[in-house]
This record gives sequence, C-alpha cells and structure tokens, in this order.
Amino acid sequence: MSGSELPKLARVAHAGHCNRCLSALPSSHIQIDASRLAIGFYCFGTLDLLGSIYEKTKEIEREGWREWLWHQQTSGIHGTGFKPSSYMTQDRPYGTDPEEYSEYDTPHLIMTYTAILSLAILRDDFEQLDRNGIVRFLQACQREDGSFTSFPNGGESDLRQVYCAFAISSMLDDWSGVDVDRAVSFIQQCSSHEGGYGQQPTGEALGGTTYCALASLYLAPSVSDLHAPNPHVTTDERRRTIRWLLQNQASSGGFSGRTNKDADACYCFWCGASLHILGVGDLVDRTAFLSYLASCQFKFGGIGKAPEDRPDPYHTYLSLAALALFPLEDADPSWKLPRLNALWNTTEDTADWIRQHVPLYTVKAQSPVRK
Amino acid sequence: MPDIAGDGPEEQPLFSERPDWTDVTPVPQYEGYNPIAPIFYTPQYYFRGIVKTNEKSERVLELTEAIIRLNPAHYSAWQYRYHTLLAIKAPLDAELKLMDSLAVQFLKTYQVWHHRRLILTAIYSPPPSNASGLNDPTATTSSSAKSKPSPESQAAARTELAFITRVLMVDAKNYHTWSYRQWLLAFFDDVHLWEGELGFVERLLEEDVRNNSAWHHRFFVVFGRGQLQGEEDRVAVLKRELSYTKDQIALAPNNASAWNYLRGILERTGTSFSNLRSFVEPYTKTHEDRLGDEEILDLENPAPSAEAELPCVAALEFLADIYEKDAVSKSVEIWKRLANELDTMRKKYWEYRIKEALKDVPVQS
Repeated sequence: MSGSELPKLARVAHAGHCNRCLSALPSSHIQIDASRLAIGFYCFGTLDLLGSIYEKTKEIEREGWREWLWHQQTSGIHGTGFKPSSYMTQDRPYGTDPEEYSEYDTPHLIMTYTAILSLAILRDDFEQLDRNGIVRFLQACQREDGSFTSFPNGGESDLRQVYCAFAISSMLDDWSGVDVDRAVSFIQQCSSHEGGYGQQPTGEALGGTTYCALASLYLAPSVSDLHAPNPHVTTDERRRTIRWLLQNQASSGGFSGRTNKDADACYCFWCGASLHILGVGDLVDRTAFLSYLASCQFKFGGIGKAPEDRPDPYHTYLSLAALALFPLEDADPSWKLPRLNALWNTTEDTADWIRQHVPLYTVKAQSPVRK
Repeated sequence: MPDIAGDGPEEQPLFSERPDWTDVTPVPQYEGYNPIAPIFYTPQYYFRGIVKTNEKSERVLELTEAIIRLNPAHYSAWQYRYHTLLAIKAPLDAELKLMDSLAVQFLKTYQVWHHRRLILTAIYSPPPSNASGLNDPTATTSSSAKSKPSPESQAAARTELAFITRVLMVDAKNYHTWSYRQWLLAFFDDVHLWEGELGFVERLLEEDVRNNSAWHHRFFVVFGRGQLQGEEDRVAVLKRELSYTKDQIALAPNNASAWNYLRGILERTGTSFSNLRSFVEPYTKTHEDRLGDEEILDLENPAPSAEAELPCVAALEFLADIYEKDAVSKSVEIWKRLANELDTMRKKYWEYRIKEALKDVPVQS
C-alpha cells in the first residue's frame, strides 16, 4: 500500500475526542484522578499537533485551564512543583492563598513536566513559575543511586522520573537541581541484554523507558547536538539498541514495546522517537508504520492502541506525535503535521515558546526579570 | 465550578450514615476555576478530613481500603495506609493476606506492588528510625539501614514467590509482577531461592517459549545478580546456558527471545559468535538445501525439526554477524537476501548494515 492509498487522518474527530475528555470524564475513569494533569497534557498536545487549539477552544476556556494549572503549582518544604490535581487539596475560599503542601499533597515530578508543557501549549507567559523552587524540588526527588522518585518523600523511582527531571532542567536551562553523573550512571544500569532499557536496573527492555533513557542521555548538558556521537552511549550499545528497536516493528507496521508482544500504537512513538534520537529514523518502514496508525483510528474519533480498540487521549496524542516524526511524502494532506521536538515531546513551535519563556535567563533578557 | 454529579454506582452508604464517623468533618475538594478533566465520583471528603487531623487508627484502615478498592491508583491513600499500619502497629502479615486478595484485581497498578515491597521490608527489615518515618525504606541504597533478613524468613520468601507464581498464571508477562519478583530475590538474597529460579523459568518457557519476560528473568538470575555463590565456575554456567538456549531454539527457531538471549550471553561473557557457527548454519538453510547434508546426531548442536520454518531470519542475521569480522562480502550477501526477500520490513536496516560494514573496508586501488 502506498502513502496515497491510506485513509485520511480524521483530524476533526480526534480533536473532538480530546476536547470532550478535557470537559469531563465519567466515574469509570476514577483511577486517573491521580494523574489528571497528564491527561490534560495528552489532550492539549493533540490539539497542538492538529493546529486546533485556537479553532476548537475559546480564549475563556484556555484562560481557565491556565489558571487551573497554576493552582496545581504548590510550594513547601521540599521545593515547588505541580500536583496531579487537587484531589488531596483541602478546600479554601476562592482567591485565597494556598498553605504549604502537606506530606500527602506534595508536587509530583511527572505532573510537573506535563504542566510546563501544557502551559507552553496554552502560550502562558510563565510569570508565575517558581523556577528556584522547582530546582529545589528536583534535588529533593533525586536518590543516592541517581534515580528520581515521583515525590520527595517516596513513590516509584524509575527511568520515567529521570526523563522528567532531565526535561524540566533542560527547559529551565538550569541543571543545578540534578546530579547528572549519578543519573547517567543509573540510566546506563537500566540497559538490558537485549539492547533496550528497562524501567529500573533489573527490568526487561521496554519501549517507553528506552525512549526515556535515550532522550535523557541526549538532553544531558554535556551533549551538544544529536548528530555527534553521544559520550554516554558506546558504539556497541548504540548498535544493540538500534537492532532491538527495529526488531520491534511488527509485520502490521506498528511497534511493540517488548520482544514477542503485540504491536501497540503508543510504541510507535516510544520506539520510533528512540530511533529518531539515535539518528536512524530513516530505517523505519514508514508506509507500514503509517498504515498501522491509520487503522487504529476509532470511527467516532480518537486513536486506540490497536485496530478496533477504544481510543484514549494517551494513544491519540502519541500516535500523532509519532506521525509528526515520520511524515510520508505521498500521503494525503490530512496527514501533514508540524515538526516535533523529539527530546521534549512537543511541537517545535511550542519548544520555541518554551525557550523564550521558561528559562530564567533568555537571549533577550540581560538580567533575570522573573523569580 | 462544575456540579459534582450524584452518587455513582460505586457509592456505598458508608461513612456519611455511620454513627462512628460523625465526629469527622468531611472536607470538600478545592477545585478553583475550570478544572481540567474533572472526574465525577464519590468525593473522598472523609479521607481529606482524616488527613487534616492526622488521625492514625483502625478506622483509617477501613477508609483507605474503601478508597483503594475504588481507585487503586490513589497513591496518597496507599501512603497514608502504610503510615497508619506502622503507627498503630497493625499485624503486617494480615496486611499481606489482604493484599493477596486484591493483587489479581489490581495487578496492573504500580501501587499494589510498591505497598507490598514496603510491607515486606517492614516485616523483615525494619527501616531506620527517623523523625517523620516517611522516607521510603525500599530505597536500594539505604546501606547502613537495612539489616539482613533472618533465616526463618526463607519460608516467608518461598510463600511470596509462590504468590508471585500464582499471579503470573493470570498474566504471565506482567511487568510489575516480574520486577517485584526480581526485587524479592535481591532482597532476601538467599542462594537456594536463586537456584530455584532456573527451574521456575523453565516451567514457564515450557508453557510459552516466547515469553520474553521469562527469558529476561533467566538472564537476571544467571548474570544480573551480584555474588554468584555456588556459580563460581563461569565456564560451566556458560555451557549450561548455551545448551539450554540451543535446545529452545531447536524447538522453535523463529523466536526472537531465544536469539536475543543467546546473543546476550555471548556478549556478556565476551564469547565470540563464531563459536556457534556449526549450530547456527543448519538454521540458515531451507529444508531442501539440508537434504544434502549428512545427518549427524550432534547433541551439542541440536538441528531444526522438520516442522521448523526455514531459513530462520535470526540465524541468518547471526551468521552475517560472524562473517562481518573477516568475510564481509558473505555478510553483504546475507543482508541483501534479508533486505530483498526474507525480512523486507527491515529492508532499510539491512541496507544500512551493508553501508556501515563497507565503510570500514579499505578501498583497493
């Protein structure tokens, strides 16, 4: 099948799916209350990729979302970060100042990453960002072995948190909150015999954490550009990782996350972006890749993990992000998506906005104008 | 601010109607303006009330259990529950039993396994006393803090391993479950437990030789742990692993897990791939080609069965890797076959391999 024979990308329907999820989710989705900020990011990211933020949403809604996001920024003894939602936050009269967070309502590292990206997509000016507080929070989350926990006082610690810490530091352009050498050493310990990276040092090679490992290693401050050999990845390791990643492209064209498992649309991003970061994105069979993702489109909007599966914002966003990385020349114009920054996982336009507004010092400012 | 919709089907007339809860002031949630993806479910007002007063009591266990059953990803409830268990000195083995019954329902949720780690650590290796007691005692590098588990704990470890085995019967590739098993083995670090794992992996692979999690676990057990007590004879270990892997490849040659394992153990032990040439070659031919070969029964090099799908792509890849060192033109031949005929999905990869290999070949003038 050539690119021109593919069905269209149902842009309007996918935007609709994410827009609906932003408004409300049913009680059956109770489990994601602890990660609502992440869902928000997948929805905003989808609208950003489809270029529909301004078409599909009203300024008053965007203002409201920005305000809600800022309500999740919380400060306290371990520094500042964003909570996943206010599900643990005591009510207080609207407009009053929040107290410092309790030990059970602390910021969350992954949610901090998604919050910053969401605010950038919504073109916030980041005047309210407590940069120094966030740096202290990162410090509080890093463990002796170099990994990062989700919370300063515990929670899971694996490559996902490392990636978020690196991405945040990179966006802030401030690495003082991270012991980079220790973190890199932790990342390298997660490399498995198969060539991919597991979630933690004993873990089976997995697509998502392979992305987290590689993106982190290429975001690290000692690395200047994607095209030079990376000091943290040996030639042999790179060769094995490339081999394992490409082995995961199934006959359907989609990627699986682990050896001998079924293809899943989200791994089209995790594995595809990994290959892109390693400089060998061209080796992916692009037509097969696209045709798999096309077949995962749900008839009422949204993209699911496999054909016929129910959609969700996570798979919708990651499928579109994957498609943005692997454009096909002769495909229908509906498939044309903006360029993606593979390391931060956002559009290049949003990445530009981040560069201009998130760091304390930017090219234009002579002295810090924000806290 | 959106209205909180009425009671969902999961709302029990529990706390608001119970006389033993009337002293707790339910605390509404702060939402502010236009929240993102607000979830309409039973407000956990009572939990916020408990946290506000920092109550640690029996009824808190009941409350947190109710929340966890509704929302197993509610990490604050898990965290608070753990602190409560310690504070009221609740029987932790009872807690484990409760977790057993929840495990299968929630086995895809990280928190279930994290809680289990915390409980096991609390029972068999109490955390260091610190002011808040809130630090995570399962941190792998809490060096001076962790005391070695007592000998009696071997029985407990076996019970835990049996539990994990039962859970794996429900979902043989569950990532959390396998990570937990690996953590448990390292935590107890008992040589008999380690040794039992090889048989365990073999049983799982008998059921599904393509279970990559089981292959990965085998690698972890054989090579990944620190001190290999009783396994000092590395040569014997390598021989055993090669023999096992070759047998599994003979059973089902088109199995990426087995080939990745084979490559992994060779790379890890610094063994040249060319040592396996006589084993691999029969797998690179078609059945017709092999008819001409002499039928020698070689137990060291089990041959592909008559039903095997040949030639085996992974075997050809392996052979090409052998040739790459000193006969690169033969590698190129194989890669071309893979690109154009046998593994066209990865056509660009095989062409890339050709390009990379020829880059290093000196140009003859």
